[in-house]
Amino acid sequence: MEQSLEEKEIKTWERKLIWAWAFTIPIMVVMYSGMIFGKHIVSMEIMPIVLLVLGFPVIFIVGWQTVKMGIRGFYTLYFNMDSLIALGTVVAYSTGILSFFGFQDYSGVSAMIMTIFITGKYIESKAKGRAGREIRKLLELGARKAVVLKGRKEIEVPIEELKIGDVMVVKPGEKIPTDGIVTKGGSSVDESMVTGESIPVDKTVKSPVIGATINQDGILYVKATKVGSDTFLAHIIDLVEEAQGTKIPIQKLADKITSVFVPIILVISLITFFGWLIFTKDVGRAVGVAIAVLVIACPCSLGLATPIALMVGSGIGAKQGILIRKGEAIQTMKEVKIVAFDKTGTITKGKPEVTDIHSLTGSKEKDMLTKAASLEKLSEHPVGKAIVGYANFKTYKSVKKFKVIRGKGVEGVIGGKKIYIGNSALMQQNKIPLLKVKVFLEKLQNDGKTTMIVAEGKKILGVIGVADAVKEDSKQAIERLTRDGYRTVMITGDNERTAKAVAREVGIHDVIANVLPEDKVKQVEELQKKGMVAFVGDGINDAPALKQANVGIAMGTGTDIAMESGDIVLAKGSLKGVVQSINISKATFTKIKQNLFWAFAYNVIAIPLAIAGMLHPVTAEIAMALSSLTVVTNANLLRRRK
Amino acid sequence: MKKTKLTIEGMHCASCEGNVEKSVKKVEGVNEVQVSVMTKKAIVTTEDSVSVDKLKEAVSKAGYKVVDVK
Repeated sequence: MEQSLEEKEIKTWERKLIWAWAFTIPIMVVMYSGMIFGKHIVSMEIMPIVLLVLGFPVIFIVGWQTVKMGIRGFYTLYFNMDSLIALGTVVAYSTGILSFFGFQDYSGVSAMIMTIFITGKYIESKAKGRAGREIRKLLELGARKAVVLKGRKEIEVPIEELKIGDVMVVKPGEKIPTDGIVTKGGSSVDESMVTGESIPVDKTVKSPVIGATINQDGILYVKATKVGSDTFLAHIIDLVEEAQGTKIPIQKLADKITSVFVPIILVISLITFFGWLIFTKDVGRAVGVAIAVLVIACPCSLGLATPIALMVGSGIGAKQGILIRKGEAIQTMKEVKIVAFDKTGTITKGKPEVTDIHSLTGSKEKDMLTKAASLEKLSEHPVGKAIVGYANFKTYKSVKKFKVIRGKGVEGVIGGKKIYIGNSALMQQNKIPLLKVKVFLEKLQNDGKTTMIVAEGKKILGVIGVADAVKEDSKQAIERLTRDGYRTVMITGDNERTAKAVAREVGIHDVIANVLPEDKVKQVEELQKKGMVAFVGDGINDAPALKQANVGIAMGTGTDIAMESGDIVLAKGSLKGVVQSINISKATFTKIKQNLFWAFAYNVIAIPLAIAGMLHPVTAEIAMALSSLTVVTNANLLRRRK
Repeated sequence: MKKTKLTIEGMHCASCEGNVEKSVKKVEGVNEVQVSVMTKKAIVTTEDSVSVDKLKEAVSKAGYKVVDVK
C-alpha cells in the first residue's frame, strides 16, 4: 500500500515535471533570446501574448493541484507551502495581462517558478523515497505465497489465506512464510533481517522460526503460530512506522515556526510590496520583490529537517536489528552518562550452561560426563538440563533407582554402581571425602558458579561447573562503553558473589546486588541523581526500570520481544546493540542539528535578501528548491557513516 | 481508547502535517494526533465512540484525502 503510494507520488511529479519543462523551455527561449542572440525571436508586441499562452498550461493545468490547494488555504485558513507558490505564480501570471496597460510582465517568470518548484518536489520525492529505503525493504520482506500441507498434498496458497495451525513446507532457499514452530525437519535459517546477525541459526523440531527469514539448506515443516498483522515482521514494521511519526523535542521550535510560517510570510510579502511601492513608486518592481519573498520562503526545509534524518537513522538501525521506538531517545541519548544493566538475560544468556569440567586423575572426562548426563537426563532441574545439553550424546546409559534429593542433587545406579551428582551437602551426607576437589570447588564458587560434584560409590570422579554464562560479546560491548567514558552499573536480583563474578568478567565496576524486582526502579532513580541513565534490560520484570530510565533499551530476544517497555528495542539480544544504538542516535542527532541549522540559516539569510530586492523571483525559487534538497540529501548522507 | 492509523494522500510539506494535525484535533473525542509527512500516516488516539468517518472528514477539511484506514 505505502509503496505504491510513494511510487505514485514520484510518478505524478515526474509527469508534471516533463510537461512543465515542455512549456517552460520555449518560454525561456522567447524571453532570453534577445539577451543571448541579440535578437528577439518574437517581437516585443506579441511577446506578452506568447508568454501568456505558453504559461497558462504550466500554472493552471500542470500546476493546478498546487494552485487549487494553495488558494483553498485562503478561505479555509489551512495554509501550506502551496499557498505561497500559488499566490506567487498567479500574481506573477496576472501581470502578463496587466502588461497590456504598461505593467511590468512577470508571466514568463511565473511559469519558471512553477516549473522549478515542481522540479524541486520531484527530486525531493525521489530522495524521500531513498530515505525510506530500509523501511520499505522491511515491507517487501514478507513472503507472498506459502506451500501448505493438506493431507499428503502440498498446495500453494497466497499468504493472506494462511491460517494458524497450517503446516507449511519450506524448501531450501525459500522464505519462511510466517511465524511458526518447526514440526519436522531441520535446517539453518538466515535471520539477519531480524537480528542483523549474518550467521545462520540452526533449527530443529520445536524451534521457533520467524516469518520472512530465509531457510538455508534443509526442508522445514513449520506449523504457523501467527499470521497477518500479529507476526513479528508486522510488529516491527508498525513499530518503526510509529517511531517515525514521533516528535523529537528539538523539532518543537521548528514545528512552531512552520505552523505560523506561511501566514507570516504572506504578511511580510504584503508589507514588502507596499514598502517598495511607497519608496520607489514602481509598481512593477514592488510586485517582483513581493513575489520573490513569497516563493523564497520555505517551511519545507524546516519541517523536513528532523523527520527525514530520523527516518534515515531509524532505517539504518532497523537494518542492524535496532528498533528505535521513540524518536526522543535519539536526543536524550547524547546526554546519557550512566548505562545500567540488568544481569540475567541481558549480560548473561539467562540460562545455566556448563562452563568447567574437572575430572580427577584416574577418571576420564568422557566417562564422567556420560554418567552425569545419563543420570541428569531424568532430572527436570535447569542445572541438570545444562549438563545434558552440554553432553549432547546420542544414547544414554540406563539408570536404575533414580532419586532426586531436594536441594542437594540426584542419585542413581548405572551398571551396578551407585552414582551421586550434587553439592557438598550431598557428598557429606554420603560420607564422600571432598579433600581432592576442595581447591577447585572454592575457585569455581568464587567465580559465582554452581558446582556439581560427580561421585561413583565413595570416590569422586570430578566436578562440573555450571553458570549462567556471559553472552559472547557482552564483555566487548561493555569495554567499549567504558572506553567511551560511560559509567557502567549492574543492577541485579542475584546474590552479591555471583553478581560480582559476572561484573568482573565483563568489566563492570559498580554492582548493586540483591535488588528486588520492584526496587530496580528506585535504583535507577538513585542513579539519575548523578546523571542521565540508560537502562538495558530484557523486558518483563525490567519494564518499570526501562520506563523510569531516560533511555530504556529492551533486549527483545527473538519473537518474545518486549516491545512495549523500551524506547529502543534490540532485536538481537546482544549488548553490542547498545553501542550501536548510541552511535546511531548520536549520528542521527548530529544530522538533525545540521539540518535545522541549514534550514534556519537559509530562511534567515534568504528572506531579508528577498525583501531587500536583491533576488530575482526565479533565483529565489531556485534557492528555495535547493534548500529543501540540501536537507534531504544531507540526511541521506547519514548512510555513508559506518 | 483506540488507535487508528490513517494513510493520507496529498501531504507534501511540513505545513501540511500541521494542517492535518490541527483539523483532526478539533474532532471531539480525539486525544492525540501524530502526523508524519514522511510516512504519510496519521496515528490518531481517540475515545471508542469516535467514528472513522469523522476523522476522514477532518482530514478532507484540511484539504487531504484518506486512502487507507487500519
